[in-house]
Parts: sequence; C-alpha cells; structure tokens
Amino acid sequence: MVAEEGKVLLDWEALEIGETFPVYEYKIQKENIEQFREGVMDEGASFPTISHKVDVRQYDKKYTDSGSVNARCSFFCYNPPIPGKKLFVTAWIADKYLKRGKNYIVTEAVTVDEDGRLIDRVITHEMKQPGEVGKKWG
Amino acid sequence: MGVEYRNYNLGDDITPLVKSMSQEAINNFEGSAGVKHPTQFTDTEFAQERLGTAGTIASGRMSVTFCLELMRRNFGDDSFNRTGMVDLRNLRPVRPGNTITFTGKIIDISREANGNKITVEINATNDEGNLTGVGKGSVIVPSGYFAPEE
Repeated sequence: MVAEEGKVLLDWEALEIGETFPVYEYKIQKENIEQFREGVMDEGASFPTISHKVDVRQYDKKYTDSGSVNARCSFFCYNPPIPGKKLFVTAWIADKYLKRGKNYIVTEAVTVDEDGRLIDRVITHEMKQPGEVGKKWG
Repeated sequence: MGVEYRNYNLGDDITPLVKSMSQEAINNFEGSAGVKHPTQFTDTEFAQERLGTAGTIASGRMSVTFCLELMRRNFGDDSFNRTGMVDLRNLRPVRPGNTITFTGKIIDISREANGNKITVEINATNDEGNLTGVGKGSVIVPSGYFAPEE
C-alpha cells in the first residue's frame, strides 16, 4: 500500500496516543437533519452529528490505511446541534491496542458550537483489518 | 402544572425498538453527512473489495443511533438529550434487509449530583436471533421527577 498524495501511510506502531488533530469546522443544515432522520427512521433524532464521523475525519485527512470497521462506539449527548451554527470538533487518538492479532485505534472527539455550547462526545474503536469481517461473516 | 412522576425500577425491561434496515436508509444516513463517494456502506463492489463481504453493511454508528433512540423514547428527550450516553460493541454486521430489535433492561440506579443515573443493558438482535451488538446506555433523570421518598 502507498500513501495517497499529501497523506502519511499509517504506521500503527508509531502512532502516538494523544496525537491531537487540527480543529474540524462544519455546519449542519436543516436538509442534513431531514436526511439523517429519514435514514434512521426517527423524526425525533436530535444528534445528526453522529453520521458525520467527526472523530475520524481529521485522522482520515492525515493518514492512508487499509480501512476500518467500527468495533465499538460510545456517544455522549449534551445539547442537540442547532441548524446553521458552526460546529468545532477537536479529535485525538485516545488509545490503541492489539486484540486477537488485530490492530485497533481509538479516536475521541468533542464538539462545541459557535456559542460555546457543548454538543456531544464520541469515542470509536476502529479495527484496522476490515477484511476480517468478510472472512468471519461472509 | 404538577410534575408527572416517573417510575423506574431495577430489573425493568424497557420498551424495545425494532428497525428494518434498507439500503435506502443506509444511503440516507451516509448522505446526510455529505458523503458522495462509494463506501463499504453504499457500494456493493467497494464492500466486496474492502471487507470481503457479499454486499454492503450498515455503519456501526447507525446501530448506536438506534440505541440513542431506544433510550430517548424510554426516558424522555428532556433528560436524554442532555445527559444520555450509549456505549455499543458491534458483534456482527448489520445488512440491508435485516430487522434488528433493540432491547434494554435497567441494571443500575444510582444517585448523582444532578439526579438519578439509570443504567440500561442493551442488546441488539437480528431476525435470525443472533446478537449484532451489546452495550450499555445511561441517562440522568432529575430527582424531582421521582415521587418523594416516604
């Protein structure tokens, strides 16, 4: 595997726990929320931020790897985002571990909006050998 | 207007949530974040190459979102959207066509500084009876929503 242009090829051994990525800024619009609610079949769903996968956005911007699958995910709700408000995400490498011969990376992210409202926190364990899914489950 | 007291007890089963997965639902979930390129969630060939699966799978985050709904519907938007959390381990892929049932049981109620923390054990089960995810959710319900202790 070679790194995509402008990216670093992931060296799992060298990846540092605590590496913090540049703040990611985005907005959620009403249309995003409507489409999210259609996707999850829930008119009251209040945290469309989860589909934006913001904890791995900046990681994915920096690193090339062989992909991943979501092995575990924690989501903490503080305040539903308001459409049109800027959201600021700080994400970092919270942990990494080897389990049954597979490499995992744990990312964590906290989102606040332009008024300083705490929105949510997400922690994701990504298994970095996605081909294992097909081998096990087909 | 008076407070309508809520009643939660250790061991109570909460009302389950059932979701029928479709590729359209997955596409909307991914599309809501502006993702337009093919992924293991939206494109069969990509999934076959990346995951070695027969077809696409749903993001684990969709199951987390369903757990958030399970908790919110049982404990109320007012409490859950401010103090709620879910922690889910994804055990098996969830695929288009699957029907997933999310169930929960109250396993702990403890006093916190801002109310009573209710912890729920959550299971997600597919239509073949296999667990696709296990985890916990919690919410802090203000003490004022509980009937005064005798």
